[in-house]
Amino acid sequence: MMVDAIIEGIKDRVAVAIKVNQSVGIQVPENRHTDLLETLFNFMLSNPNDTWAFVTASDTYDHISKTFKEVSEHTNIKFIDCISRAAGISEFHDNCIYIESPTMLEIAGLEIMNTFQGVEDEVDKYIVIDSLSALMIYNDSEIIREFVSILMSRARSQNIHIISILMEEEVDSNKLIQMNDKIVVLRDSFIE
Amino acid sequence: MYINTKRDVRSVEEIDMINKEVCSTGIRELDFQMSGGIPLGSTVLVTGCSGSGKTTLCMQYLFNGAQNDDHGVFFTITEPLFKLTKNLEGFSFYDKKLIESGMVNIIDLRIISERLGLDAEKYTVEDAGALLDILKDIADELNVKRLVIDSITALCYRLQSREMIRDFIFKLGTSLAAMNCTTLLTSEVPPQTYKFSQYEIEEFISDGIIFLGDIERRGDLIRTLQVVKMRGIAHSRAKFAMNISAERGLELVPLLKTSDVESLLRR
Repeated sequence: MMVDAIIEGIKDRVAVAIKVNQSVGIQVPENRHTDLLETLFNFMLSNPNDTWAFVTASDTYDHISKTFKEVSEHTNIKFIDCISRAAGISEFHDNCIYIESPTMLEIAGLEIMNTFQGVEDEVDKYIVIDSLSALMIYNDSEIIREFVSILMSRARSQNIHIISILMEEEVDSNKLIQMNDKIVVLRDSFIE
Repeated sequence: MYINTKRDVRSVEEIDMINKEVCSTGIRELDFQMSGGIPLGSTVLVTGCSGSGKTTLCMQYLFNGAQNDDHGVFFTITEPLFKLTKNLEGFSFYDKKLIESGMVNIIDLRIISERLGLDAEKYTVEDAGALLDILKDIADELNVKRLVIDSITALCYRLQSREMIRDFIFKLGTSLAAMNCTTLLTSEVPPQTYKFSQYEIEEFISDGIIFLGDIERRGDLIRTLQVVKMRGIAHSRAKFAMNISAERGLELVPLLKTSDVESLLRR
């Protein structure tokens, strides 16, 4: 795990970036992915009045809820798991919507936007995509680009902020991360 | 001819469309694609392969209508009633009270055939005519505003020759046009084909065609819906991805346009 100072640093950095910008891309080395998730979940739990849609294609919801136990108890975070069914995992949790396959991007998009149905205008709303790199394993980069572009347009129209995570090792990720208003690059020991 | 208002410029045809009375399907995105719904009194072919969502769409249309005081009737010839209602129970739009109160009626045409003393497997022209009369009487009796026949393919299958099928379909078209209701006819087609009907006549008696298909993306099938034709209204012809969920029934979202390279290569 990273030292607390760095985790706090990321938390502050992301918090400021996402308040000011509609979309933030976070580039992270694969070995720091869990630390980044911990930071984001801390941030979510410390803002219980916000509404979050957390799209996971990297880890199954089952794994996330076991690693970050508090997360599953918070109803302000709705998980959209794109990977469990494709991996043949048939677990079911009330707090999670399972997408049949990570190729079904339209259905994932539909469920993301359904999360915010009925949420009052004054509530801060966020989408986290974890991660674009994982989605690119199952889809061509061009279709992911279209998916993100449409999602951003829909999110903008409803004043929803988007945080997308990208692995540093993903070579095709450059075009995708450039679509964000703000890019935060997380290195092994410092934030850029 | 155009009418200039303070706010914008609209053609007379557009204003006519806005004023035209439509029958809302209750499926928000589908209604939006059709400028509010299906024009009242239309006959629409809902076509697709097995498992494409035809019956669910039709049921959602009936139950949504019943919520707004439109009486509806669903004539089935493919599935027994108990199986049909059992499948419906999982959907939030299903309301048993609407069936009990007679707002939604589900009728097995095979039972009617038996009661009429008809051979359930093979119909003559007279049998088919008698069945049409009964169908019309039921619709009139129940003051039905929304009617579904599931499926026209199975109904025609019981007729002996192509000529009989053609005659029956045209008679059906004439009967439906005379009824004061908006009708959905389901039509079975083989999977992965862009064909609207089994006998290639059904589309000619229809005012509209809603095509339920699927696209393959890396081996996964994504359900799609496309309004191919809808007389009398401006409608989208774009292909939409379709989701069927217990909570919300049918939902549509624009299909991503970028084709998957691998899928293209396989075609």
